[in-house]
Amino acid sequence: MDDLIAQLPLLIPLVLGGLAVWLLLPRDGVRAWALGGVCGLVALGALARHFAPPVDDSVHNVLFYLFGGGAVVVGTLMITDRNPVYAALWFALVTLCTCGLFLLNSAPFLAAATVIVYAGAIVVTFLFVIMLAQQAGAAGYDRRAFQPELAVIGGCLVLGALLYTLQEWTVEQPLLFVTSPMAANPLSEPQALPDGEIIGESDLGTLRGVGRSLFGDYLFAVELAGTVLLIATIGAIALAPRRSQGTL
Amino acid sequence: MTDPLPGQLAVGAILFALGAVGFLTRRNLILMMLSAEMMLLGVSINLTAFGRHHGNASGQVFTIFVLTVAACEAGLALVLILNLYRRRKSLDVQLWSNLGEPDLPQLAPEDADPPAAPPAPELPHLTPSGPLPKAPVGAWK
Repeated sequence: MDDLIAQLPLLIPLVLGGLAVWLLLPRDGVRAWALGGVCGLVALGALARHFAPPVDDSVHNVLFYLFGGGAVVVGTLMITDRNPVYAALWFALVTLCTCGLFLLNSAPFLAAATVIVYAGAIVVTFLFVIMLAQQAGAAGYDRRAFQPELAVIGGCLVLGALLYTLQEWTVEQPLLFVTSPMAANPLSEPQALPDGEIIGESDLGTLRGVGRSLFGDYLFAVELAGTVLLIATIGAIALAPRRSQGTL
Repeated sequence: MTDPLPGQLAVGAILFALGAVGFLTRRNLILMMLSAEMMLLGVSINLTAFGRHHGNASGQVFTIFVLTVAACEAGLALVLILNLYRRRKSLDVQLWSNLGEPDLPQLAPEDADPPAAPPAPELPHLTPSGPLPKAPVGAWK
């Protein structure tokens, strides 16, 4: 019981967040917008306080709260919106917030690539939504979620397990994130690169560093990824409806 | 140096859980695919955060692979959705619940709308010609 009470700063945001998602999921009748929104924001604030980064770089922190909190809020809006067109738009915003987090992690190339790839994917998805789902107005399957209680409970269990592990890790190694990021925890010990060279901080995130790692250490994986792309292309062409089978 | 690793991992975990909840609750095939993509985004945040934490580029390389797989998945999923839509004229995933084993417990859709009736095929018909025959009123009741 004491353990449970000790975990209250984690349990309360989890329960509130699950309640918020459950209240906001589409259903018949009126949804409790205000109550769900307040519950969700309180849960998000409590979690942000719990997992707050050490404050010594205010610009970085502000950007992190902006992008991280934005991603979570917009993601919640995406899975709870009744209109699939709006859901696709919210997903575009989730992608943009994620790209902001990539930038904070000094991965500008990845941010650009994600925007380009997902922009194409989202535009195509958007066309599909407008083409297929908007022919007869709002459909019944978008107005009612399928078993929201079970899904929310399951999601809260998964999230609780993940956050509990993270929290234990943070509490056990309080100095890890302040002094040296590469010390102490054996699980986070960086593996030495095969040639014994660790790319320096100045090289991290540049195209040179990413390219050297991609085409040096992971060359076979690149070949495999190319094969996967080829097979996916062939499969998509083989599965696509023929013109002789009629149109939509 | 500020290391925002726990916060970033928490954001990734929350996005993953949100995507899982969306995948399980939404009944629109396209939205289910978008929820799966959101789970992939959460994993990508984790990978880049660990890459920065360890100071090497492996995390970003793995994220590139995740992007590759996401692109393949989006293409194949859209083709499958198009095929499924052509058969049932609806994006409701529960119309396909009979694909499961028959002896498993069926998750009955709660008061689901009846599926839209397929449009009647265009049958050929003869054009009427000649005067309308005079039927005796009330004789064939």
